Amino acid sequence: MLAICAPVPSDEQLMAAYIAGDKAAFRELFRRYSPLLQRAMARDLRSLEEANDLVQQTFLHLHRSRLDFEPGRKLKPWIFTIALNLKREYFRRNKRRHETSLDDDRVPEPFEGPRGQERSDAAREMARALQALPAEHREVIELHWFGGLSFPEVAEAVGSTVAAVKVRAHRGYVALRARLGEGSPDPEAMHEGKPSVAESK
Amino acid sequence: MDCSQIRDAFISGEPLPEEQVKEHLASCAQCRALYAHGAALGQRLAAQAAEVLALEPDFFGQIEQKLEHEVGFRAWLRSRPTRVRFAAAVLLLLLLVVVGGVLRHRADFSQYPLPRVGLLLCVYLLAIVLAFGHELSESPRPNAVRDYAGLLVFGLAVPILAAFAPATEVSRQAGAEGALGCFGYGALFTLPIAGLLWALDRDERPSIRTVCLCAAALGLSANLLLELHCGNGNPVHVLLGHASLGLAWLLAWATARRISRA
Repeated sequence: MLAICAPVPSDEQLMAAYIAGDKAAFRELFRRYSPLLQRAMARDLRSLEEANDLVQQTFLHLHRSRLDFEPGRKLKPWIFTIALNLKREYFRRNKRRHETSLDDDRVPEPFEGPRGQERSDAAREMARALQALPAEHREVIELHWFGGLSFPEVAEAVGSTVAAVKVRAHRGYVALRARLGEGSPDPEAMHEGKPSVAESK
Repeated sequence: MDCSQIRDAFISGEPLPEEQVKEHLASCAQCRALYAHGAALGQRLAAQAAEVLALEPDFFGQIEQKLEHEVGFRAWLRSRPTRVRFAAAVLLLLLLVVVGGVLRHRADFSQYPLPRVGLLLCVYLLAIVLAFGHELSESPRPNAVRDYAGLLVFGLAVPILAAFAPATEVSRQAGAEGALGCFGYGALFTLPIAGLLWALDRDERPSIRTVCLCAAALGLSANLLLELHCGNGNPVHVLLGHASLGLAWLLAWATARRISRA
């Protein structure tokens, strides 16, 4: 009964435990973060293997950098900073241009999703629209939606300000809507459209 | 209410209090964009976020295996906190410059203008500290080209300026001879720093950024040392024997990187 009532340790508590030598804490961090990291990595890559390799490297880097983690700091943006640095370096090393523009129709086909699972046309279209965004807009949207970071955390992870990442997200959303054929934003319609998530669903 | 709660509600399908949503949308342009046209964008993004990808069955085991290899001196060294790694690199650099300067300092050292040596020391040390600090930290690196382009330009400009800057008591009449000796002397003294930088680097494979920053730091270190060692102010001698060290280090690291990739 006590075990059921025990509070779930925060990411930061787990990291502190790992620094103190608790290997089980590392396993728990892996359980929590590997799906988020994999999803954030896989968007830009052509195969799950490449994404998994970068996720592995992120955890190795986390291990090597563990003594740099300061108490009071949030873990999530810190891990994503490591992951983003590795991903950028991966693209530089492979000389693959992943910064595309909306005008460029030769957008590479994004990662196709889980093996043996067909993506719907809508999902495929959305993935391609995301892939076509300028890198700095896409990065912010992906971290927020697929990495589960709040905008302040995104700002910390990418080394920018909260206001700047919000502007990037907004521009990205507008571009996505244009790409998906939803037209330009109409402020009146936005207020009148779907005021609550419950209604919009 | 904040943007994260809106996002989470889209993903989970849990309803949110209407008044609070309205209040948030009134002041949040990006969330308004999600709700426009029947909230189509929010729902499509939520569908993407809900996708579950497959992890390999023994994925964690593979990481554990790699962690088991994280033993030995280099593993210990590169897991030190950044401030310790940074201090180790700068201290070794200072130690070598002092040792090198004491062992064989220039013949006209007593007449060497103090303001010049002070200025050079400050400029070189600032550049080296920036290069080391930047390289060894875990800060976000959104644009590497912008990051290190300034340092590289600085790294190339300083020795060239040093070669052509007017200097009292420096023999401009001297020939270019001895450049190779100076090159070897500088390279010899910066070799331990190169080794330490390699050992301190946490990346599996050195990145282009690492190569450029290390080369800039090493070239500047060697120039600092040679400024104390050699009184030959002939521009050709300085450019060939002193300033060329940065370029040599860049080529050496780039070659090592290419070999390690092959």
